[in-house]
Parts: sequence; C-alpha cells; structure tokens
Amino acid sequence: MRRYRQAAGEVGERRERSRWRAATTADLAAVGYGLLVVALVVISYTLGAVGWLPDDPARMDMARLNAPPGPGHALGTDFLGRDMLSRLIVGIQAYFLPGLLAVATSLALGATLGVVAGYRDGRAEALVTYLSNLVDSFPRLVLILLVIAAFRADIYYVMLVVGITGAPAIASLIAGKIQFLRTKSFIEAAHVLGLSTRVIVVKHILWYNCAPLLIIQATLGMGEAILVETSLSYLGFGVQEPTPSWGNMVQAGANYFFHGKFWPSTAPALAILGTILGFHLLGDGLNNILESKSAP
Amino acid sequence: MKTLPRIVPLILTLTVLTTIPAASPAASKNDGRPDGGTLAYGEYGRPATLDPITSNEMISLRITELVFNGLVGIDEKQAIVPELAERWEVSQDGRTYTFFLRKGVRWHPRDGEAPRLFTADDVLFTHNIMMHPKTITPLKVRYEFIEKVEKLDDSTVRFTLKRPILNALAKFSFKVIPAHGPANPQYLTREDPFVRNPIGTGPYIVKSISADREIVLMANEDYFKGRPHINKFLSKPFADQNIMTQAMMFNAIDMLVLVNPRDLPELQGDRRFVLQPYNALSYAFFGYNLRSPLLADKRVRRAFTHAVNRKEMLDAFFNGQGTIISGPFAPGSWAYNLDVQPLPYDPAKAVALLNEAGFTPGPDGVMQKGGKPLALSLKVPIEKESEAVKRVVLAFQNYLKAIGVSVKVEFKEWQAWKDAVFAEHDFDVILASWVFDDSADISSLFHSAEIGPWKNNFGGYSNPEVDGLIVESKLTLDHEKRRTINRKLHALLAEEAPYTFLWTLTNYSGYHKKLRRVAIHPYKFFSFADEWFIPAAEQK
Repeated sequence: MRRYRQAAGEVGERRERSRWRAATTADLAAVGYGLLVVALVVISYTLGAVGWLPDDPARMDMARLNAPPGPGHALGTDFLGRDMLSRLIVGIQAYFLPGLLAVATSLALGATLGVVAGYRDGRAEALVTYLSNLVDSFPRLVLILLVIAAFRADIYYVMLVVGITGAPAIASLIAGKIQFLRTKSFIEAAHVLGLSTRVIVVKHILWYNCAPLLIIQATLGMGEAILVETSLSYLGFGVQEPTPSWGNMVQAGANYFFHGKFWPSTAPALAILGTILGFHLLGDGLNNILESKSAP
Repeated sequence: MKTLPRIVPLILTLTVLTTIPAASPAASKNDGRPDGGTLAYGEYGRPATLDPITSNEMISLRITELVFNGLVGIDEKQAIVPELAERWEVSQDGRTYTFFLRKGVRWHPRDGEAPRLFTADDVLFTHNIMMHPKTITPLKVRYEFIEKVEKLDDSTVRFTLKRPILNALAKFSFKVIPAHGPANPQYLTREDPFVRNPIGTGPYIVKSISADREIVLMANEDYFKGRPHINKFLSKPFADQNIMTQAMMFNAIDMLVLVNPRDLPELQGDRRFVLQPYNALSYAFFGYNLRSPLLADKRVRRAFTHAVNRKEMLDAFFNGQGTIISGPFAPGSWAYNLDVQPLPYDPAKAVALLNEAGFTPGPDGVMQKGGKPLALSLKVPIEKESEAVKRVVLAFQNYLKAIGVSVKVEFKEWQAWKDAVFAEHDFDVILASWVFDDSADISSLFHSAEIGPWKNNFGGYSNPEVDGLIVESKLTLDHEKRRTINRKLHALLAEEAPYTFLWTLTNYSGYHKKLRRVAIHPYKFFSFADEWFIPAAEQK
C-alpha cells in the first residue's frame, strides 16, 4: 500500500512537471502576476492585522479633506481627511477571512456533492444535479439580499451564501473528473487491493488528481467573493463606515469624482480591479497549465 | 408641526403664502410679462402625499404651495396680505376673527366635471377634517387655540379663539382644501385618493404623476390672482443627490431647490446660473434620548457638546456657510438670545465633566460607570444619507471616541428611522434639523406634555421650569415680555443641553438665468412662483 501511494505520487509529479515545462509564457505570466497579488494581499492583511500602517486609518484631518496624493499621504486622503493607503490596507480585512470562508464552504460542499454524484450512479447523481440546478437557478444577488433582510447585513452570512451558491459548479467539475477517473486502471487496482472507498476517494481521487482543480476553483472563488463583498459595501449593505472596505471607499469617493477629485474613488477601484484580475488570472493560468486536455 | 427632509428633517409650524389680489379673476396678469415656458426643478426625493394636511416633509410642502391657498398669505416683505379672504375683522377682545371670502374663486376642475365654487363650507370642512382625531397631521397642535368656526353666509366665516394669541392672523394661512375633495368627508388619511390627486385653488393644477414620480403641474388659467406666467412646472425626483447639480449643468433641469454646499463653487463659476440664498429659520442638532440613564445627566450631554468641534465641521464640510448656534431658536428669529455663547470646543473639559458625572475610563478605553460602558447608538435615516450627513455623523463618532465614548452609527431606512425615533423611542442619539416659522414656538419640542408616540419631544425632555416658561410665553400678548421669556428659555435650554445645537446653514437655490423675477419663500419656497416668468425668446 505504501509503495503504491509513492508510485502514484511519482506519476502525478512527473505529469505536473512536464505540464509546467510545456506552459506558454502568457500562462506563466498570468500565474506569476496572480501569485504576486496573492502575496501582496496576504502581506497587507498581516500588516493590517498587526496594525503596522503608515497612518491611523481612523484619524480625521479636517483641514485636508480629499487631499491629493503627496507627502504624508501616499495615496491622498478621503472625504474625512483619513489616509487612503492605510484604509486600503485595512480594507482587506473586510473580505479576507470572509472570502476564505466562502471558498472553504464552496470547496467542501462542492467536493462532497461532486464525489456523491460522481462515485454513485443513478439516484444520488440525479439528486445532486437537481440540487445544483435549484441553487443555480436562483439569482445570487437576490439570494444575498434575502439573507440580509432575513438576518442582518453580516458579511459572514453573505459569504456563506456565496460559498453555497459557488458549490454546484465545483460539484459538477468533480463529478465529471471522478467519472473519468473511475475507469482508470489505478483506481481499479486500488479496488482490487481492497482499499476502502473512503481512502480511494479522498486520497487517490481528490488529493492526487483533483487538487489542481480545487486550487483553481479556490482562486476563482476568492475573486468572486471579493467582488461580492465590494459590490455590497458599495451599495451600503456590506461593511459599514467607519470600517473601511474597498467597496464603501469607492462609494464615498465617487461623490467627489466629478469635482475633479478622482483619487478617493480611483485608488480603491484600481485595487479591486487589480486584485480580482490577479485571482482570476491565477486561476485561469493554472487551469491552462494543469488541466488542459492537450498537455501530455 | 411637520417633518421635513433637509439635513434630516422635521419642520416646526407653518406660515404662509403669496400676494397681490388681481384686478380681474380668470385672466392674464396683464403685467406686461410673457406667459409660457416650462420649469423643471430637481427634488430630493418623491413626496409621500400631495395634500397640505397629511404631508409632513419639505418635498410635499413645496408642491402644496403651488396647488393650494390659505385665507391669508404673507408677501415678500413678511406682511400679511389677503388671499382666499378678501378682508377680515378682529373683535376688540382678540377672540373672534371674521373673514370675508373672495367671491368667484373656483376649484381646479376634475376630469369631466365643471369646476366648483370655493365657499365658506370649504373653510369649515378644512378645519373640521384637520382637527378630526383620526386625521394624522402635524397641524393639529398648531390649531388647538381655535374654539369653533361658524359659517355666517356662503362667503363669511367666523373663528372664535379659546384665548387671544399673539400673531393669530398669520396662523390663518393654513391651506384650504375642497369639501368635495377627499373621498372620506370625515377625516383624511394617507390612503385617501385625494392625497395623491389633489385639487386646490392655487396657481398650478396637478396634471399627472408618472411612474417614476415625476409630477407635472399645469398653469391654472382660472387662477384668481391671474394666470401664472410659466405654463408648466415639472418636479423631478432624484434618488441620488450627487447628480442633481450635474443634471442642471447639462440642462436636464432648470432649478435646484437646495444646492449641495459642495457644489456651490462650481455653480458660482458658471454664468448660466444664478445662486440665490434664502434664509430658512432652521437649525441642525444632535438630539439625545433622555430616557437612557446614560444621557439623563446633563453633565454628560454638556460633555458631548464640549467634545464636538462645530466650527471645524462647519468650515470643512459646509465651506463655513452657516452660523453656529447656542440654543433652541433659529438665529434669525427674534427669540434667539445672542448673549448665550455656544459651548466652546474643549475635550479636556468634556472628560472632566464625564469624570464628575461618575464615569471612569474602562480597560478598553471606553468610559464606564458601575461597569456599564458609555456606548451609544446614533441612528441616521439611510434615504436621506447625503455626503454631508455622513460626514457629520462620522466626525461626531470620532470626536466622541476621543473622550472615551463609543458611538455606533446605524443607517436605517427612512420609515424605520421615524418609527424607531418617534414611536418606539429606541435610540440614543439622532442627527436632525428643525425648520420654524417666525413664531418661534418651541412648545412641541420641549414641553413635557409633548412626550409620547409621534410627538415632537422625542427625547422625553421634561423640566417644570421650561414647561412654565413655555406656557407663559404662549399666554402673553406683549411682544417684549414674550421676547424676555424666550430669551430665558434659550439660556435655560442651552444650559440643560437636551440637544447639542449645531448650526443654521445658509441655503442656496440655484436656477438657470432664463428664470426671471424669482422670489423664494424661506422654506415654503414656491409661494411667489406665479409671478416668475421666462422671457419669450428663452422659452424654447
């Protein structure tokens, strides 16, 4: 059994290495940019969490409202004279943990449903497909607003909804993958060796063969979660002032956009753009490299 | 009393309307000025109702000003002038007022019906419906001084007052509605079709309301002061205040009733537009719920007032366009006591006052007393959430944080906010503003009899001394004496700080310069709109 696991690992590694070697420059650049964004987000999140910031994000400087970028305020100040850069960094708190929750939810739920649908035929698969269609048929934003109305405008509830509504896509991908893998000889060998279904599913299918897929889905899901959080905060349903979120920063700054003060909204808007693009490019690049059918 | 959306609203009282009896009814004004043209004006939202009785916000008030008339009006020089009443007589004892009504005034016609004549019955009807217990109107408390009203003949009515009151004549400016108007002749509710489709005697007729609440008003050819010059008024609601000024710059509208302070420089620099200041008797304040044990101590409320830098906020957020106030009257009012100075910005004094009241800093930096933290909820209606409101509440939160007070800002939907503040009293602090007429009557704000659901003493302020002064002020007929009493009231309420009084802002209306002869009533706005005109060449 031990030997077998090593053998499978070697097979996987070799395949992945060759895929990386065969990757196009564009895909590698996309992945590189994405990793850079992820690193920046994680570092900034940590900085914000330990409070190591250029300025106190809550300190108001009433003499310098909507001040342009300059010494003291690298990205200028907002409509209450607060430092934009510090608020941008702290704004990551608004989506970081909630986003991880959304990703974890959709991965866990999606993988479970995918395994059930892919590994068991017939009624289980039909049921999972039915459930997925049910969730998919509901407009996500309506569902989120419904949850906000029924409970309260808590970002964790919202992210739970984002996670659940993201699950069907992952489930169908996993189910397809499993149906394809089930016919492979190494799975049949595992069966013959008498391994339990649990070991085969978790270790040999999910861990060795679906990990890239799950990572790709996680990056795409994170991008999606950030977009939902910032949209809701922009609309006033998400993170409330004075707590900064990129969404409510864009909203507050937008009021002054036509008055020639573009930086209070442009800085957070570009941050949203760059970050979501990063997560999507990372997912896309990884997908092209690790999951493409044409690779060896 | 009316609730009005300005910074966050509430109006106090009503005054009056327009001017100049026309020589011959149902004719052109014959003043040599051209008729024609359309005026589209930008409004801050959609009015809930369009009648003068149930309406309780500025948006409705401005519309009713175009559609209805009172018995008397007030002209541009604040003098009382005839309107639906041609003349009046006041008895020696000041208790009976007899109004001789203008003859031949016709109500706006309803579709397919001939217009009916305005008579004394309509005046009686309006009074009765206004005072009916089931009619929900902010006007009721204002007209309790009327004992009875009688019809002497079709064009004569007599009001008998419970007691003589100062400036009684001005109060007969209430808008008269037709007896054949409301579907329910007993009382008026917001469900009555009349509140959405009103008819009056005024210069403009409500023609239609589009699906997105754009209100079309057409000139009343039959107006008793002569046909108004401008053919059509269009009230366009803007959900987003930020684009209102832009809309005017791009010629989508011709007039803004209230220019956002931060747009002033932009309009000032544009020669197509005129900026006209008008002095509303109003002020903004933070109101405290004195039912909360934390806020019952006046030292705490005074500490908050010391902690807030009003000058800094006024300069930073409103370009300094306003006056900081110290007490419960608008600074333009004769009742305002200039000897009382606003409490200075002094955070150290604020902390000292909190210590004196028994608060000490807790482990998290928040002041506490007996283990109870000084943490408050500040409720703000989200519908009226303008940038200025947002700035003021967040700055307030920040100022109080500096003295160890935690404030949680809650943005609430407009109706939910009104329920929480006026019905359930579930709040600690609100940001609001009052708008007054010149009677400077603050009884509904601070008299203990005005504590209760939907009453204006929302904070539950009760002080026998204040009650006594308010009653005394209402009863006296001597203006100087009344002034002295009100000055005393001002000093007392400034000391007690049931509110943190903030400021009176200078209001500006902005309009295209094609509009001529624009006179603006301080808060009813359109009182003189029948005299406005657009030169023929610019009517498009």
